[in-house]
Amino acid sequence: MVDLCPDDTPELKAWRQEVRDFLEKALPEPWTFWYDYDEDPASWERYLDFWRQVGKKRWTALTWPTEYYGLGRPAIEKWILEEEFVNHDVPTYPVIGMHVAGYLLRHGTHEQRCKHLKGIADATVLWGEGYSEPGAGSDLARLTTKAHRDGDEWVINGQKTLGTAAHFCQWMSVLARTDPDGPRHAGISCFLVPLDAPGIEMLPLDNMADGRQNMTYFDDVRVPADSLLGDENQAWTQIWFGMGGERLDNAGPSLGPHAMRILPLLNRVIRYCRQTTRGGRRLGDDPVVRQQLGELMVGVEALKLQAYELYGIAQSGKASRFGEASMHMHQAVYKEFWPHLAQVCMEIVGPMAQIQGGKWAQLNGDIEHYFRASFGNHAGGTSQLKRMVLATRGLGLPR
Amino acid sequence: MGIDLQLSEEQELIGSTANEFFGKNCPPELVREYETSAADYPAQLWSQMAELGWLGMPFPERHGGLGLATLDMVPLYIELGRHLVPCPVLDAVALAGGLICALGSEEQQKALLPGIARGDAPIVSALMEPDGGYGPGAIQLQAQRSGSEFTLHGTKVLVGCARSASRLLCAARTAAGENGEGISLFLVDPQAPGTSVERTPNIAGHPLYAVTFEKASVPEEALVGELGSAWPILYETMMKAAVLQSAMVVGAGERVLEMTTDYAREREQFGQAIGKYQAVQYLCTDIAMHLHRTRLLTLQAAWHIDSDRSFLREAALAKAAASRAAAAMTFAAHEVHAGVAFVIDYDLQLYTRRAKHWEYNLGDLRYHLDRACTESGL
Repeated sequence: MVDLCPDDTPELKAWRQEVRDFLEKALPEPWTFWYDYDEDPASWERYLDFWRQVGKKRWTALTWPTEYYGLGRPAIEKWILEEEFVNHDVPTYPVIGMHVAGYLLRHGTHEQRCKHLKGIADATVLWGEGYSEPGAGSDLARLTTKAHRDGDEWVINGQKTLGTAAHFCQWMSVLARTDPDGPRHAGISCFLVPLDAPGIEMLPLDNMADGRQNMTYFDDVRVPADSLLGDENQAWTQIWFGMGGERLDNAGPSLGPHAMRILPLLNRVIRYCRQTTRGGRRLGDDPVVRQQLGELMVGVEALKLQAYELYGIAQSGKASRFGEASMHMHQAVYKEFWPHLAQVCMEIVGPMAQIQGGKWAQLNGDIEHYFRASFGNHAGGTSQLKRMVLATRGLGLPR
Repeated sequence: MGIDLQLSEEQELIGSTANEFFGKNCPPELVREYETSAADYPAQLWSQMAELGWLGMPFPERHGGLGLATLDMVPLYIELGRHLVPCPVLDAVALAGGLICALGSEEQQKALLPGIARGDAPIVSALMEPDGGYGPGAIQLQAQRSGSEFTLHGTKVLVGCARSASRLLCAARTAAGENGEGISLFLVDPQAPGTSVERTPNIAGHPLYAVTFEKASVPEEALVGELGSAWPILYETMMKAAVLQSAMVVGAGERVLEMTTDYAREREQFGQAIGKYQAVQYLCTDIAMHLHRTRLLTLQAAWHIDSDRSFLREAALAKAAASRAAAAMTFAAHEVHAGVAFVIDYDLQLYTRRAKHWEYNLGDLRYHLDRACTESGL
């Protein structure tokens, strides 16, 4: 039954208020910070300090089982928490750590969970991604990084690219080929690798949006046998594709706060249009701007509802309209909408949007930054890939 | 409770029942027949729908209705769209019936609603004028009081089924005014002296009429609601009906997507099914993406209406998405079908032409994007 009211009990309303109160204290002033597009050390320090406060309350692990540092709370509470975090424009938690937590809770051993989940929950141990390679982007199954067993150890050789903020991380989740002779999707395994292991070298790949991604080289890197996460050769279905290939989450579906950065951004632009006068009239009274804003509202609202829908499906277990491809549709829509949103916001703000900071910058230069960042919409696979999956798996078109 | 965007089992059942019923009783041949038929709508189908209770869904039970909520009606309207049912359900039930429920006196409700629910000759709404606008400023039909009567002067356009309607529910201006002041609703007999009804050929093949009033008089009992203050409720009722119109676009889109993916699987060119080409896959996913966002926004708006929340912003977003989708889905479908769908015997064009009417009906894209801004405080 259609229902869009997550906090329909006094307890849940009180929970929402508790989250709000915390945020008012922890982040009293609006602060836009995108960890994947920012290298400023002071901002990073402030950012991690904030998330360690959240971690101290275990809200990072709200729905995890209590035996693994979690609070064992229901998924709806996590949803409400995320809504409030999005509404407050909270800088999002480094996404890979939460993915790894999800893998661990689904496929990890008891020992692996005990070893790694606390650091993720506390935000004291950051995780980077070892997925993409120079020759394996959207077609990730082309990856050639190899791991072979040598006694009690795995030996990893190869090269990973586009590791977002990996130089801030202590650990990496690495996909490597463990069966070179098997079918290409069936010979891949996932490893938990400490980035200080001998044989690892990381070189910067600065991106056009002020972020640093990284090229990571593995030269006979040895990790213990229990670094294997999940079953050998099963990483494609267990780890990667089984969860939609992106925006994987921990023990319960997520609003996708990462994607939901669009919501506070649009609200800022709407406020800007309300307050800014141009050519003798309020920007928000310009009929062309109103058409543009209206269209963006439709897009943002639809994305929010798609996230709601995926949550509902996960809770009810009922089949969704496009089956397993529903997540891919959501991603395709998001990946195409993001750069569109950025472009239209640039058009609305106009030529002054070019200025990146200082007293003449509009909206603190954030729109310009967001525009550059929107070319990072390929992360986790391009929209073309997502559409292909939707077409073949969701609509039944031939492959 | 919590978060869910799927219809309940009971609501799904309304949809599957209607799908089956229209599949049997409303084939494309019937849709084609009523593009040129002398009758405005198939009377037998209309009575059958009444017997099933579908024409009284939103009315109170004491007036022959079922007292159902918007979300209960959404699945029916999805099927009305999927099967292009050539009956004035939206005009008669959601608009005229909705306005009588909201504004009519108890006597008017008692006198009129059971007839609508029973499937009598319909009462249809007459809202648009040649100006083509959707707001209160576009309503210029003059209604001047003289004694116990009002005299109507002006023209209504795009009025569905006007020739066979028992009454038109006309929005008219009884006083000059801004922000919707001075607008009143009248029940008018389309056969009355001073009233001329002219069928206007149109893209959808619908029975749409221009109705011109030249000193047509109506008694003051014909007034529905208070004199000069109809606009706020009229606006809300139009927005609620726009949500149901969006549901019709969803239904039509489902069928268009099905036709298009079926064709892309079967049609071979250059030695393989065209559905293997990514260019064709892109067009198919365009349809799916427009369809799906329209469905979600429609469900959200319906939920807002049913749970007594403010719904005007949500309704505007839904109909904006539906208007955009109506055009985009049929365009993409034609791109995939190419020549075969340009042939008039192929059914896709039935959808394409009606989608254009639905794109405009109860507010086009431009109108609803602007409303979305206004309803967001801009």
